[in-house]
Amino acid sequence: MLTTFSQIFLALFFFTIVLLHLVRKNSSIAALYGIQSLVIVILLVGTYFETGDGWSLLIALLTLVVKVILAPAFIFRLLKKHDLKFLVSSYVNVPLTLVIVTMLTAVAHSNLFAPLVQIIPANQQLLSLALSALFISLFLIANRKGALSQIVGILSLENSIVAFALFAGLEQLPILQVGILFDISIWIAIATVFMSMLYRHFGSLDVSEMKNLTE
Amino acid sequence: MELTLIFLPILAAFFVSLLVKRRSAMEYATVAASLVVFVESVSVAIRVSANGPLTLAPIFSIDALGAILMSTIALVGLFVSFYSVFYLRREMDKGIIGFSRVRQYYMLMNLFLGAMLLAATSSNPILTWISIEATTLSTAFLISFYNKPEAMEAAWKYLIVNSVGLLLGFFGTLLYFTSLKTGAGAAVFTTWDSLLSNATHLDPVVAKAAFVFVLIGYGTKVGLVPMHTWLPDAHSKAPVPISALLSGVLLNVAFIALLRFKAITDIAVGLDYSQKLLIVFGFLSICVAAFIMLVQKNYKRLLAYSSIENMGIMAFGFGIGGLGAFAAILHMVYHSLIKSALFLSAGNIFLKYSSTKIKNVKGVLSVLPITGALFITGFLAITGTPPFGIFLTKILIMSAGIKEHLFLSIAAVFLMAVLFVGFLKQVGAMMFGERPQEMDKSKESAWLIVSPLALIAIALCLSFYVPHFMSVLLTSAVSRY
Repeated sequence: MLTTFSQIFLALFFFTIVLLHLVRKNSSIAALYGIQSLVIVILLVGTYFETGDGWSLLIALLTLVVKVILAPAFIFRLLKKHDLKFLVSSYVNVPLTLVIVTMLTAVAHSNLFAPLVQIIPANQQLLSLALSALFISLFLIANRKGALSQIVGILSLENSIVAFALFAGLEQLPILQVGILFDISIWIAIATVFMSMLYRHFGSLDVSEMKNLTE
Repeated sequence: MELTLIFLPILAAFFVSLLVKRRSAMEYATVAASLVVFVESVSVAIRVSANGPLTLAPIFSIDALGAILMSTIALVGLFVSFYSVFYLRREMDKGIIGFSRVRQYYMLMNLFLGAMLLAATSSNPILTWISIEATTLSTAFLISFYNKPEAMEAAWKYLIVNSVGLLLGFFGTLLYFTSLKTGAGAAVFTTWDSLLSNATHLDPVVAKAAFVFVLIGYGTKVGLVPMHTWLPDAHSKAPVPISALLSGVLLNVAFIALLRFKAITDIAVGLDYSQKLLIVFGFLSICVAAFIMLVQKNYKRLLAYSSIENMGIMAFGFGIGGLGAFAAILHMVYHSLIKSALFLSAGNIFLKYSSTKIKNVKGVLSVLPITGALFITGFLAITGTPPFGIFLTKILIMSAGIKEHLFLSIAAVFLMAVLFVGFLKQVGAMMFGERPQEMDKSKESAWLIVSPLALIAIALCLSFYVPHFMSVLLTSAVSRY
């Protein structure tokens, strides 16, 4: 893949995940996920220009529909329906969050994960960045109290894995990629329905409100 | 023809959701589909035992372990479907659920069964992952079925924890594909067999990392400690027949995916690595389950923790390997049958007492004598009391373990004794004592007894006699895993 092109877009991808940790509005979360997914679509189109494989273009198109259009649309509709403007807080404050994000990025670039990021030696930097994105997405899921952030964290984790697979040359057959996208789209639909149900039951998307129910 | 085995439950789900307007038609469709699937799965299992792995289509292949799993899913699925008919009728009569809920139940349960069969028979690791993810999606609404805050919390936790786990498992799965990497855009159809035959090309460090991700990922679905947090909540809040499927067969589906990756890892880095990890996670699971069961206040959660313990015993057995692995596969079958029977018996108790709290359930033996007897029998069977098969499998696993892991094996035996005491204490509190004054001693419904009784009877028969085709499958599976 064209290295400079990939570096710019993967850096943008990484930046969206860091921003997901910082923003405080629900609509910004949904928009950032849309932008992040758009970057993945652009990287998939880049694969098409590199290999000439028409299937890559089809997968890019499906990804565009599912992750850039449908997923944010579902989330925006939910936010509008329940008038949910602001996000519930995180477990760790912003400065400490940034410290942890930095540490996770450093760990992903360390020798500990060298064998994983050297799957394709020419893409080592890109794979390190994709791995950092994966770790930071995991931290997003763990750190946020809001159901929406957890959902977007999981979707962001999935995007990070797709980015890693792209640069590690681990793409799957188109039919399997379609299967995975189908799974993701059903997952998004179910997760948004659940968020709506949670809001109806608890009057909030704060999952820490549910802790007192645990037996 | 064999493909009906996989797609019939999915077809039944669409039939129920789109075409049927009558409850009885849904019931007939579900039970009939389960019956056909069961007959077909036994026939396929016999053929696999005679002729080796069966390839149904490029993406479906059934080996010995797949055949054992598939038959277990089909058998438990048949009895659970049958039980569901009468259980849901009772819940409808009590006004707990309405027609639309029943329709939702049958549709999702059939999809769930179809997804599990797909996972058991898929020849491709990614398709297996998609199928296991589909089991999460089809069951999330079944866990929140009663639409109560506690059920919502359990379903949310289930969805989030399992999705994160499975994504990590997916990442691990992709790392295994580095053994046959041919460059971007050159993806080829990859089967479990091709990954296995290319395992020697796998970088040992990558293989180790991949196995850790897969162990965390699929281990979450199996319910191994410390990734088990979703399991007690989900199993206790779902309708009882679904709890029986979740505990009885879904955990095995994920476990077998884990075992397939273990076989690949063993070739790449040697047996020691995966075995040690499985032993550690297995032991931890037994340990946590044993102590939590001592203080458990909810009988469905009690059964859920028992599942964690049994998954731990199986992980321990596979970690030891050889005779331990043989016993672990057999343990998987016994656990499926007995745990499903226990959950179905718990369903009868719930229908009578309308509570899952142990303190609210007294004198079951006098109020529901047959169900009470079944529950006690199930308890004795699941904790490994002779003459049930689990006694033998536990003895085999621990005796195999004592040779190389003396301390852990002795500690595990001690923990199992603690667990027995904890389980006995809770079961005793429920079964004996004065029944609540308002509780009448009405006749038990025979239809609600058939399924748990049959499952326990089959488990007992298999404890004394393992059919030839099954012993061939067991031997073949052990040689590979």
